Amino acid sequence: MTIKEKGYTHWEGRLKNGKFPWWPITRYGIKLTFKKKFFKFFFFGTLLPALVYLVGIYVSERLEDFKSMVRESPALLNINPGYFKSYFTNDFLLFMMVMILVFAGGGLISDDLKYNSLQLYFSRPLRKKDYFFGKASVLVFFLLIVTLIPGLILFIFKLIFSGSFKFFVSYPWLPISVIGYSFLVTAFFSFYALLISSLSKNRRYVAILIFSTYVFSDILFGIFYGIYKSPYFSLLSLKVNLQQVGAFIFNQKMQYSVSWIYSFLVLAGVCVLAGFTLKKRIRGVEVVK
Amino acid sequence: MSVEVRDIHFSYGKVKALDGVDLDLPQGAIGLLGPNGAGKSTLIRILLGFLSPDRGGGKVLDYDIKHQQTEIRRYVGYMPEDDCFIPGMDAVSFTSYLGELSGMPRQEAIKRAHEVLFYVGLEESRYRMLETYSGGMKQRLKLAQAIVHDPKLIFLDEPTSGLDPQGRSEILELIMDISSKKDIQVLISSHILPDIELTCSYVVILNKGKPAAQGKISDLKEIKYNLYEMRIKHEREKFLQVLRDMKCRVEETEDQLLKIYIPPDLDPQEIFRIASEGKTQIRHFVKSQTSLEDLFAEVVGVD
Repeated sequence: MTIKEKGYTHWEGRLKNGKFPWWPITRYGIKLTFKKKFFKFFFFGTLLPALVYLVGIYVSERLEDFKSMVRESPALLNINPGYFKSYFTNDFLLFMMVMILVFAGGGLISDDLKYNSLQLYFSRPLRKKDYFFGKASVLVFFLLIVTLIPGLILFIFKLIFSGSFKFFVSYPWLPISVIGYSFLVTAFFSFYALLISSLSKNRRYVAILIFSTYVFSDILFGIFYGIYKSPYFSLLSLKVNLQQVGAFIFNQKMQYSVSWIYSFLVLAGVCVLAGFTLKKRIRGVEVVK
Repeated sequence: MSVEVRDIHFSYGKVKALDGVDLDLPQGAIGLLGPNGAGKSTLIRILLGFLSPDRGGGKVLDYDIKHQQTEIRRYVGYMPEDDCFIPGMDAVSFTSYLGELSGMPRQEAIKRAHEVLFYVGLEESRYRMLETYSGGMKQRLKLAQAIVHDPKLIFLDEPTSGLDPQGRSEILELIMDISSKKDIQVLISSHILPDIELTCSYVVILNKGKPAAQGKISDLKEIKYNLYEMRIKHEREKFLQVLRDMKCRVEETEDQLLKIYIPPDLDPQEIFRIASEGKTQIRHFVKSQTSLEDLFAEVVGVD
């Protein structure tokens, strides 16, 4: 007897009240992102700097073997917090992280707005914060893979290659900096992408906006800095703000003579703006009052 | 009572959508009727917790609509009026995904998704991407996602809109089958009167944000009015004016058939007396077979 002949049947199970109701959103978000064209290419490309820096650590511990290659610049392979800072704040890695946002973050909310699916989410036992966590966790997953995981691996491999804990004893706070900066940059980029994704129903516009806002903020800084030579214009650039805060977290000299606190406030401001906008935009039904 | 609301008010800016709605809905299939803009969808959205009422409160399945919205949504299924889906998914992924979000374990959700997709008639196309679905298929899919977690109460907002006659009749059959289960309540919002008449035993008619009538359809038809069909000759206008003065509602069809809604306290014999006094011949006079459409026209005041 087919189900149609049998009529409607009850489900015998019991609905659970899980601690992480947002987890299915994250899991499907990750799955759908991996299905996108070229995403895997960009994602694994983002791991290239980690590979290069890992080789650097290996070479630094085997300088005698690689003398001919390193020649007169062994200082380049001086492994210290600056080395980690340069991994986390290098232009290529930050650019590739933005590309991850373009692929993974573009449609996260804009598609739900376009296809009216917010009402499907909110007709389920989900709160706004569950929806937000679910969507943000998709980005957190990808961004931590290219920041936290390589950062900790570089640290661990430094200890393994050197065969002692001397590096750890010299910089016991370094793992905390790695974790702290990874979470900071991840949180910022997640808020940034979700903010822009909630502004339009068109994922292409969102993707373009995510990319162009990041690049344009840096170009704007370059123009003003070139004209007025004031380091305070660095606050216009999202990239430079991330680098300034990174320099502070890794206890390094700032590239521009502006307090890291200002840069941090700019980044925090973007996150607050995102939180406010998301609260307004994410709702089961559109209400025009 | 699975749905009880008291004095619900809600406005969109200056526009009052609900203006003091009181409802006590019993078990079974319930129709929520009303013209466009009557406040049907707003009421459903308030019951689901999408919107918070400006005033008033109530309970759905014994959960408070203001403070226990998450619990309400766990046990309620909702089929929205608009087209809505998640791109990049096939029907099985979509339905099981929403089952999981309702709190079903993943494997169970997948199994159940297959079952409900068979049930709504999407078995052949359950692995097709949703972007390729026709309007009718999307309508069935919306029903599937509303019942995947086996809710105790299902809100169906215009379930047959955009369907061809065949699709409409199939969806109505499914709704009747679901509501035949004694432990599932179905609330159907629609402005298609025959759909409600076919599927529901109880009806709430909303008009301008207020309940204009509510009760069992059979009771409402009997109590609210007496409808007669009549054909007359000679003194026409004067006769009709006298009827109107006696608070009878008069409608005329294209073929000159008069439909007279007589107030319950008026004796139909009185009509013959008036006709006789006014030299009007009554050529045809029968008590009409009343329909929900007539009731709707009576309480909402539209044809």
